[in-house]
This record gives sequence, C-alpha cells and structure tokens, in this order.
Amino acid sequence: MNKERWIERAKELGIDELEIYEQLTESRSLSWFGGKMDSFTTSRVLGTSLRAIVGGKQAEMALEQADDAQMDEILSSLAEQGRIVSSSDPAALRAPEKTDEVKSRKNFVKPSVEAIREALAAAEQKLLAFDERIVQVTAAEWSEEANVRRITNSLGLRIEEKGMYQIIVAGAAARQGEEIKTDYKVKVVEDLSTFDLDSFVKELAENLLGKLGGRTLPTGQYKIILEKDAMTSLFAVMSSMFSGDMINKGISPVRDKLGQKIFSERITVVDDPKNTDTLDVANYDDEGCPTRKKLIVENGVFTTVLHSTKTAMAAGTESTGNGFKGDYTAPVTVRPKNCMIVPGEKSLEELCEEMGEGLVITDLAGLHAGIDPVTTDFSLQCSGYFVKDGKKAFGVTLVTVAANYLELMKNVVAVGSDLEWSYRSIACPSVLFTGAAISGE
Amino acid sequence: MQTKEKLEQYLSRCMDSACDFAEIFEQFEENEMISTLDQKVEKAERQIISGLGVRLYRGVQSVYGYTNEMTDEAILPLIDDLRAAIAEKAEDGAEDAAPAEKKPVVLTRVEYETRHPVKTDYRKVPLQEKAELVFRAEKAAKESDERIVKTTGRLLNVREEVQISNSEGRLISDVRVRTRMMLDAYAKEGNIFMSGGDRPGGGMGLEFFEETTPEEIGKEAARSALVKLRAKDCPSGRMPVVIDNAFGGVIFHEACGHALEATGVAKNQSVFAGKKGQQIAAPCVSAMDDGTIPNAWGSQNIDDEGNFQQSRLLIKDGILQSYMIDRLNGRRMGEASTGSGRRENYKYEPTSRMSNTFICAGKDSFESLFEGIEKGLYAKKMGGGSVNPQTGEFNFAVDEGYLIENGKISYPVKGAALIGNGAEILMNIDKVSSNLSRGQGMCGSMSGSIPTDVGQPAIRVSAITVGGTANE
Repeated sequence: MNKERWIERAKELGIDELEIYEQLTESRSLSWFGGKMDSFTTSRVLGTSLRAIVGGKQAEMALEQADDAQMDEILSSLAEQGRIVSSSDPAALRAPEKTDEVKSRKNFVKPSVEAIREALAAAEQKLLAFDERIVQVTAAEWSEEANVRRITNSLGLRIEEKGMYQIIVAGAAARQGEEIKTDYKVKVVEDLSTFDLDSFVKELAENLLGKLGGRTLPTGQYKIILEKDAMTSLFAVMSSMFSGDMINKGISPVRDKLGQKIFSERITVVDDPKNTDTLDVANYDDEGCPTRKKLIVENGVFTTVLHSTKTAMAAGTESTGNGFKGDYTAPVTVRPKNCMIVPGEKSLEELCEEMGEGLVITDLAGLHAGIDPVTTDFSLQCSGYFVKDGKKAFGVTLVTVAANYLELMKNVVAVGSDLEWSYRSIACPSVLFTGAAISGE
Repeated sequence: MQTKEKLEQYLSRCMDSACDFAEIFEQFEENEMISTLDQKVEKAERQIISGLGVRLYRGVQSVYGYTNEMTDEAILPLIDDLRAAIAEKAEDGAEDAAPAEKKPVVLTRVEYETRHPVKTDYRKVPLQEKAELVFRAEKAAKESDERIVKTTGRLLNVREEVQISNSEGRLISDVRVRTRMMLDAYAKEGNIFMSGGDRPGGGMGLEFFEETTPEEIGKEAARSALVKLRAKDCPSGRMPVVIDNAFGGVIFHEACGHALEATGVAKNQSVFAGKKGQQIAAPCVSAMDDGTIPNAWGSQNIDDEGNFQQSRLLIKDGILQSYMIDRLNGRRMGEASTGSGRRENYKYEPTSRMSNTFICAGKDSFESLFEGIEKGLYAKKMGGGSVNPQTGEFNFAVDEGYLIENGKISYPVKGAALIGNGAEILMNIDKVSSNLSRGQGMCGSMSGSIPTDVGQPAIRVSAITVGGTANE
C-alpha cells in the first residue's frame, strides 16, 4: 500500500482528511488433550482500516490488506459514507502530539514448541494426579501473539506501538458422585523456563475441588463479597456508563451525575493506559491521541467522563485518550484502558472475618444478558461459598444475585487489597457489600 | 478466490506430509452497518473480511493456519509450517501412522441450486435509501407514544462468499446474504427511564422489509419499553414458568442445544454424551436443528466444511435422536458429519454449531398453559443466556416478564433471571402449545460469533428457579 498516494488521492476525491490504521498480528497456539497434542494454530494477518473526514463528518472502513488497485473504489465509498451522516456532531483526525513514552515491564521470552508441549503435558498430568476427583483436563493451552499497530494520517501523524503476550490456560472437570464441576485458570507467562507450574496447578485444582458439594441457599437478603474476578467482570460490563458516547446520547445511568457522588466514598476508579504493571500499555490511543492517567471516580464522586476525539468535540471538551478499537476490524469507540478500582488494605480473609456471615461470590454467569445497562438492574447466576463466623463453611451453587448496581456500589463496607491485573485491562479487588437479594430454594 | 489449479497445488502440497486430510476455506465478506440516533445518521461503516484458512488432520489431531495475504509468498510458508507441525505430532502416538500413498489432489466442482435466493442486493441500493428504512422504524416508535423520548437504530447488511476445497477432491462455494434491523426505544415517565428493543433479521436481501415492515419493528420496540415503565420488582424462588414463543427458544438453545454439539460430546464433556436413544426430555418435547429453512437467519446452503446443510431431528417425543456433528469430532465419535461445521470467519477453525434450532409445535392451547398456576412467571420476551455444557448449568435473562396469579397474567416485572440445570429443565416441560415461531440471535462459542435462529411455541416448565429483585 502506497500510503502517500492514498492520502493524495483521497483529497482529489473530496475527502478532507484520511487516516490509515494498520495492525500486523502474528500468533501461535497449541492445545493438549488426553495425553496428546490436540491442535496447533498459526497465523499472520496484516489488517487495515481507514477513517475519512468528509465535510466535518466521519466515515470508517475496515479491510484486510489494502491493495492500491482498490484505491479509487474504497475512497469513493468512504466519501459517500461521510456525506450521508446527518448527525450534527463534528469529527476530526488528530495532528501529531508529543508524549513521554513508557514501556510495559513485561519481558517475554519466546519458548520452543518442545518446551510448550512439555509444559502442557506436565500441567495435564499434575492436575490428574492432584486428586482422584479430578477426572478430566478439559483444556491445556498455550497462546502467544505479537502485534504492531501503525497509525498514519494526512495531518502528519506517524505512530507505531508494539505489543505482545504469552498465556497458559488450563481447565479441568471434577466429579463427586453424580455432581460435575468445572473451572479454568489463565496466567500470563513471561518466561516458561522459570514458570511455577506447580502453584498454577494447585490454585486451579483447589478452586475446582472447592466447588464440589455445593448447595443452594434459601432465598433472601445476604451480606455479600464479590471476589476479585467476579467484581472485575461485573465492573467491566458496567464501565460503559463512563463513556462520553453513552453520556452524550443520554443513555448512561450517570448521564447527569458529573461532580456528584455516585458510589460509596470507599470507591476510587483510576484509568491509566500507561500503567506499566499491565499487559497492554498504550502511549497513544487508536486515534493517535496521547494517553494519560485519570481519576474517573474519586472517593465516590464522578469526576471524569472518558472521551474519544469525536465524543469530546460533541461535548465541547478534550479527548481523554480513550478512543480505542477492539482490533483493526472494529471502529474507534470510547473504552477504558487499564482501569481499576483502587485497592484497599484488607485481604480476602480479613473481608470474610469482617462479614462474619454471608456469601462470597466467585463466579458470575450470563453477564452479556442479565444486566439492564440503562437502569443498572441486574440478576445473574452465581456460585461461590458461604461464610460462617468469618470462615468458609460450604460451597454454594445455582443461586442468583440481584441488585441495582448503582445502589450496590453505594453500600460498600470495605475494599480488598487483592487486585491482580493478569491478562486484563480492567481489574478490581474483592469488595464487601452490605447486602443483595439471593434467590435459591 | 483462488483458481481450481492453484487450490489443487496447495492441497497436494498439504498432503505431501504426515496428514491424512487437508482443507482450504476461503472467505470474502462485505458488510455494512448504518447507525442512527433520533432519525439522524450517526455513522455508516463498511467492512471487508477476506482471508484463507488451511487445515490438516492426522487422525483426530488438527493443525490450522490462516492469513489474509493471498499470495504464494504467504500461503506456501503457512502450509509448510503446518506440514512440519503435523509431522512433529507423529511422535505422540503409534495409531497416528500416516497413509503411505500420496496422490496429487484433483478437484471437482460441486454445483447446486441455492435454497436461499436474494431479490434485492443491498449493494445496489444507495445508503440514503437504506437509512430511510431505519428512520421509518424510529418514527413509528416515536409516534406510538409521547413517552418515547429517544430511539437508536442499526441496519446490518452482510454478503459473504465462501469457497471450500479439500483433499477428497471436493470444491464447493456458497453465497450467504443477511439483513437485520436492530431498534431500541427509550421511554421516560417521571424519573423512570427504560429501554425496549426489537432485532429481527433474515437470510435474504432488503426484501426482508416486505415481510417485516420497519414500522412493525419500531412499534414493537416502543411497546416493550413502555411495558417496563410500570414493571415492579420480580419475586424470587422456585415456581412454574410459562415461556412464550420465538426468542423464548433461547432456553432450549442454552439448556440443551450447546450440550448436543459434538464439540463437547466427542470429548465426553457434555451432560448428554452417550445418551442417544435415551429419554432426555419430557415426552411432549421434540426438537430440530434445521439449517435448510429457506432464507432463515441461521441457514446456509453448505456448512463451513463444504457439506450440505441438513435438517436434523435432535429429540423425538423426549428421546435423543442425533447430535450436531462436524467433520473432526465425527472422527472422534466414529460418526459422519451432520453438516454442522461452522465458523465466524477464516480466523477460526470450524466446529459443530447450531443453525436454526427450535422445539416443535405441540398440541396444548396457549391459554391452557396458565391453568392451575397459583403464582408463577410468564416470560413473554427473553434476553440472552449462557450454559456450561459439561455441568448443564444454564442461566438466562427475562427481558419482558409478568407475574401469573391464579391462572391469570398479572402485572409486569423487571430484573428476572432463570437458572437451572439443562437435563432437569427438559424433563420438567409439562405443556407445549402450537404457536411455534423463531427469533434471531448471535451465538458465541469456540469458533466465534455466528448467526443462529432460536425458536419454540409457548411452553410451560413446572418448576424453575427465578432470580428476582424483590425482597420478600
């Protein structure tokens, strides 16, 4: 692709500004099942997406490799797409801006296929040997990816950022009588040769075995702790409420709450794409806007709306550097990046002691459907364990937890210290709440 | 798409390895999404998805590679990486001995007549005309009640071409066209702000809107939002539930459909593994997965492994008849593919997936489903759900629900979820009415997100756990 030629030709076809976003991804994954290599996948994909500004309106197109022979057809389509936009919201591309660049602290060492096979085989064997109730290792998988994203635009912007990850995933099933339970675990692995496989296996096996013998609870109101993974998955869905797009459209539940107390004063939310503890550090967002650290919620008060360039212009403010794409095929949307609820002082055990009696929720299911994003009412299948006298008493399964998220977040008793980024770009510690409706028997 | 000669060259190179089967999947998809807010176009996006995936089998092991660079320089090294990977795997087991004889692959094109003809190609209709379709739906929603204060709409048009070739000499193509409108209406009364939606679609062109008018879609979204304005908290606990037709079929999709996919069955990771010929549902339940329904949202002429789509009877009078099987898992199970191999795009290896899955019409009248229920839930519209196929535990959200009191539909309730165990719930269906219809959804699983229809007539489940928000 002759980028300079595309930019020139765009102007000739009535496009005011053009951005070319490229993403090169190389990946490899291996999975192990039943004492054998099960599958192996390898790929190399160079994807392209284009954004055009036409008469102050934006048009987007995602394609694979952009071929110069398609140039006129694609650019003409972009011009038509831009002209049809009737919303009064303006749009613009970004001119180059300087920022102090940081690098992820992760130092990945790429292992050989042989080393990966050995690790996966060992993971399977160790899990099966851990306890006779573990009857199957449903998945043992290695996944790695290296990617480069490049942004070029007609305003002279030239950005290149690289990323990489390596993860190991294991899943297992345990049986006790007729009851079957499953669990899985994901871990980022910087160097497989020094990876503590035994701890990884032990953690997965203990969590899994802890689910056996679970029972339901009588329907009622209980004190609850949302354990860090459950808290994170719920917060990740709800975090769209801070999006400038949702707020501009008037459909965010906090649309008119900026500067007001929306959560308990114990809750502070920070978004920092440059947090070097995370897997995916971004110095620039996917529009080329420099990123920065922001307090979204400070001691319960909603202080910052997240914006991309377009949503910021509509709101008469500056982008917060949160215009990100899922990948090259997706449009730029407002997304948090390396966003967390700031951890507190207490361990999960201490939170359980403080709760005395109640339910610790470790898993939530049905998050894609069981939440009303407008009212924040939710009702979700969950499992975990019951705590009596501050200690784990028995496993709990097949119950639902229901509440209004904004109400729940006002009723925080304590925030835990156990925040873990792992492979995520949104992370929360465990949180103790005064109560929620649990439905069971 | 590559030429027949080129594909023969690639496949022959694949077969010159330890593998016993090779397949090439090629895809060229164009899609377009017009998004609106209050009858103004917010954006019009286009996407081209084009690439190729190569798969080699050796027994039940598979290696897969994909790229979007359609040149020998990219494809030949990819094939060679896969050949090397499958050779490495030979060390693992003696039964992996590869066949000795390797003949060059000769392809024969399979021709057929499409079951899913398209009348109006979206690519030939100007963007403005398509935007007008969404405006009509938004206008109908807004005009239906003054409490509708906002509307958002999306029109999705997809045209996907695939070509599949394999070492058995098969070369076959398909063109899949889909149209869907997604409309959300927002209702406000005092401090209460509620949304309601409607998202119908079909495996056809813009003629879809001759059957289902934009006005109908707009009015349905508005009606759903308005009902919720007067919804009260939902009670909790175990109770009888009447689940209405169309998207209500998501209960079968989650509670049973996923567990009948060979992906889980072949590895003994499903509650229904080894249960063929056994009773897994109440005798009033029969169910199908039919990928051949003309122009349906979840239909195809061929699956993504090049086999013709089929109409599969899954359950007859409560007895398990068939699983949904893809080629690789068919090998594990010693059964033929049922034409169920599907994938989102070339970046995914295919696996067994649903198409249009539904509970068949029964004989009970709709009214009789409510008889004798002192206190229960009527789930008129369902949201989505999910399942763990290995344990059978499922959950799904009720989008529009009503309390049943003394055999009658009472007030609307909000925030209800239904949870349970698939194996148990199928046995607890005690009435099946005759008003079968289907609804459209996107189903996510190992091989990505694919369009599927769910469906059923209204059914009654004698007892299910309802998770609600009411404090009792």
